[in-house]
Amino acid sequence: MTSPRYAMAFDLERCTGCHACSVACKVENEVPLGHYRTKVYYQDTGRFPKVHRSFLPVVCMQCADAPCMKACPTGSIQRGEDGIVRIDQGSCDATGACVSACPYGALYVDPGHQVADKCDFCSHRLEAGLEPACVETCPGETIVFGDAADPESKISRFLARHRDELVALKPEKGASPQVLYRGDARALEAKVPEGRNHAPESYEIETWSARAPEQGQGGAEVQR
Amino acid sequence: MKRREFLRVGIGALASLPVGACIQLTPGESTNVPSAPRAKKKRARIDYQTAQRTSGVCLNCSTVCGIVGYVVDGELRKVAGNPLDPNTAGTLCAKGQSSPTIASYADRLIYPLRRVGKRGEGLWKRITWEDALEELAQKIGAARAAGHPERVAVHVGRSRINDVITRFLNAIGSPVLLNHRALCSLNKRAANYATIGDQDWETVDAERTKYLLNFGANFYEAHQGAIHFLRRVVRGRFDNGAKLVTFDVRLSNTAGRSDEWHAPLPGSEGAIALAIGHVILRENLHDAAFLERWCNVSIEELREFYAPYTPEWAAEKSGLEATTLERLAREFAGCKPRCAAFTNRGSQAHYNGFGNDRAVVMLNALVGSLGQEGGYCWISGEVSATKFPPPEPVPPAPKLRTDLEDPPEYPLANHWQKMRVGQIVYAYLQERRAKLEVYLSYTLASPLTWPEGRSRTVDVLKDEELIPFHACSEVVYSETAHYADLLLPDATYTERWGLDGRNSYELQPYVLLRQPMTPPPGEARSFADVLIQVGKRLGPEVAPYFDFADHEAFVRAQCAKVPQGSYASGFDRLKAEGAWVESEKPKAYATFERALKPDELEGSTTDPATGIVRKKNAKGVEEAIGLVVGGVARAGFKTPSRRFEVFSAIVKTAAAKVGVPDDGFPRYVAIPAHEAMTDERLHLVTFKWNVHTQGRTAPQKYLTEIVHSNPLWIHPSAAEPRGIRTGDAVELTTFRPLGQTYQPTGAELGKAVVRAFVTEGIHPRVVALSNSLGNAFGGRIATARNASREEHAGLGEGADDPDLERGIWWDAARGGSGAGFNINAILPIQPTPVTGMQAWYDTVCTLRRV
Repeated sequence: MTSPRYAMAFDLERCTGCHACSVACKVENEVPLGHYRTKVYYQDTGRFPKVHRSFLPVVCMQCADAPCMKACPTGSIQRGEDGIVRIDQGSCDATGACVSACPYGALYVDPGHQVADKCDFCSHRLEAGLEPACVETCPGETIVFGDAADPESKISRFLARHRDELVALKPEKGASPQVLYRGDARALEAKVPEGRNHAPESYEIETWSARAPEQGQGGAEVQR
Repeated sequence: MKRREFLRVGIGALASLPVGACIQLTPGESTNVPSAPRAKKKRARIDYQTAQRTSGVCLNCSTVCGIVGYVVDGELRKVAGNPLDPNTAGTLCAKGQSSPTIASYADRLIYPLRRVGKRGEGLWKRITWEDALEELAQKIGAARAAGHPERVAVHVGRSRINDVITRFLNAIGSPVLLNHRALCSLNKRAANYATIGDQDWETVDAERTKYLLNFGANFYEAHQGAIHFLRRVVRGRFDNGAKLVTFDVRLSNTAGRSDEWHAPLPGSEGAIALAIGHVILRENLHDAAFLERWCNVSIEELREFYAPYTPEWAAEKSGLEATTLERLAREFAGCKPRCAAFTNRGSQAHYNGFGNDRAVVMLNALVGSLGQEGGYCWISGEVSATKFPPPEPVPPAPKLRTDLEDPPEYPLANHWQKMRVGQIVYAYLQERRAKLEVYLSYTLASPLTWPEGRSRTVDVLKDEELIPFHACSEVVYSETAHYADLLLPDATYTERWGLDGRNSYELQPYVLLRQPMTPPPGEARSFADVLIQVGKRLGPEVAPYFDFADHEAFVRAQCAKVPQGSYASGFDRLKAEGAWVESEKPKAYATFERALKPDELEGSTTDPATGIVRKKNAKGVEEAIGLVVGGVARAGFKTPSRRFEVFSAIVKTAAAKVGVPDDGFPRYVAIPAHEAMTDERLHLVTFKWNVHTQGRTAPQKYLTEIVHSNPLWIHPSAAEPRGIRTGDAVELTTFRPLGQTYQPTGAELGKAVVRAFVTEGIHPRVVALSNSLGNAFGGRIATARNASREEHAGLGEGADDPDLERGIWWDAARGGSGAGFNINAILPIQPTPVTGMQAWYDTVCTLRRV
């Protein structure tokens, strides 16, 4: 039997920015606060009353030419026949070289357990015949996933139907990312960090504007 | 009790607290012994082959989606959507996905506690359940013995066990069940009642629609039935080519993703809807056949009614262009009948909200989309006692009434169903309009979520004369719990029983079973079980109504009529599958057209003048069951005329009773507090985020990690003249309302200092702050404080969560933005005339940089 070749795409017009994917991922994989495997960026553009909001969900791009794999000093990162880039946490020595090498902010070093971690399309769920947690829960049916080797799979049909509309994030980085987007994903790609994990502060509302945020926050004081 | 003496009593984390020992639970003031050491090794991912799978029902918001929980080694590790729930088909939102973090929250209440020291001081003593139940029975028994059962009140947030609570109150003879519907959806429901006679939220057939006019609903983030509706709108738009037009003062995710976003002045939604109706009639785009057949006024009367509401008039009220309204009217009507106009709080939570919402529902009648495929449909989501009968004997409802649950100023609040006017409860207690002996609060975060919350609400909760005894059932040490005398640790929705469901977007009835996926931690116990156990102790007049073991037995009895399928019983079927869909029933399209069957007509009479078909019901009372239309007796609408009601005699009569001028038509009423507003004054509105409800989500780490900060949204054109930039501290001053409502003095109400967020995504005359945050209680996540259990209120059991010790990166002490602001302290109590809905979005404020 030949191995499946897993692939994922995001149909951005369907995304409602609901964060179900981010939270499903964090619960499923027990991701510590401050770190992410799956993330949704927001961006507001335009001037009142013509203002529009865009969302960009980001996971590990499962790059065909993965910079993290090349950077790993212990050879703990491998790309499987099924197309998924995985970390062997047993041999990982948490140097963080993979985090610095990633153009998509996809990796982090778990501060408690001192191992690198990232999205692996919920491989443990795939083994049980389930979809990745983000795919299963997505209310807008934004995330298309499946076996690209099977022409009848959801992902194969989606890729065939929208072939000319699909884009990858930061193609100039040369990593050959395998996760694709339908819609103007590249308008938000500047928000996707390079060489460090997704910053938790990038969820703060002050970062939604396409303009640079200004500083300063604090606690409330209610006078009576 | 002095703190020094308290310290001598002996201190321990709640998990190791012996019965009789004391604990200080005020955040930041606690002292504790170390908790169990945490696991060092990263645990294995969930093994789905061996995990125990149990279905249930989410209750992290009012949408109540069917879920499936996966339990490993006794811990709920994962929740997914139940694919058998017809509304969700197995999807779930961020709040639903967060469910396991409530069950495993390290700061949960796990033992019954009795207050020692002053109320609100935060000193508690661990007691046994036997002590707690006996004290509850004794206090309630004393009120009954004194001849005042109505001095026992139950006040609930989002409970979903009202069947048990109502049974308990009926059994003891008290009518005082207080809730929060008037803070939520009262005017929306009232508008549906008055026009189409339905009791629920509408069920727009969005998957098949071509055009949606959304008046102030944010279903991409909140809304009852949020993802039920959202996923069908997404399908309707991107698989079926539907257009979505949103009116909202703020760029919500719904507005920001709509095909068109229009920001009108707050409270002008009714004017917009009336003008769109005006254009539809003026240009003869209406569905004359539907109107002639079903409307309770003629087309000529409709033309007369709509005549003054020109697009130019509405443009003046709303600030939108008259040409835009004309275009939208043509586009909307051009898609008839596959189009729908609907509302939520942006439209209904105003002084004139009842009229606004009726005006919106009327657009569906004008174009004949009511009950049509792709149109404005409806189906009840109620778990009815007929279909799900509770155990016999069922106690009768008491005949008593009080101003608390039935305020005479708002006669429509309880006319169709008991929606109550929850926001006046504390004010009326202060005014001695009702007296209480026992106040039982359940999932009620009123200091946080009520208007005048952390002000008048807290004043009353602290006052032992107004509330002599307060028992509170909660999962965490909430702000309501802090002001209680007896703390009853509750089970979460993944640890207890219940039947639940909502209006089905598949337009067929269904029900879901909530069942425990794990036992509750420590001695936590569901409030339904507490009431059942107290009921058993209340003597021979009350106890017979609680002659069943527990809440599980109650729910099992309710399932007696559920078809068993291939299972041993209907209850077993629901335990295994989690959902029962009546898939053989026809979809609830155009239910009013249904011809009455011979058995329904047997023994009926038809009024020759009106065509209304009447028949005696089971209780021998004559009621309307249909209407003769086109020579056939049909079901019609469940209104008094059995027609779609533009004119409502019920509304006219109710308004007259309380001296409010109203001719029974949904005319536009200007909001008194907004008349002659100077440029200096701005509108202040609040809103919900997609990852939060108002009161219950803040302790959930993955949700609060996403949204924990809620600065004040302000448009650059309002910010610049005031010298305000993003991040600046600004002082808000709010004012009381004007008009026919509570304390309409226009006087200054209060001040608050918040932070500004300057954005293009808001109307220039409006500022907005979310209503979900600013928790002072609820454990380390809710209050944004990194701490070990030794330094913090020692709650919960088992190993601590390292995320709560050092992972809260938004902790202000670490330079983060903190736990946010709660603005409700300075939002006025303002029930809308006649109906009683809280006019959340009428508040007028001034703003200055400090």
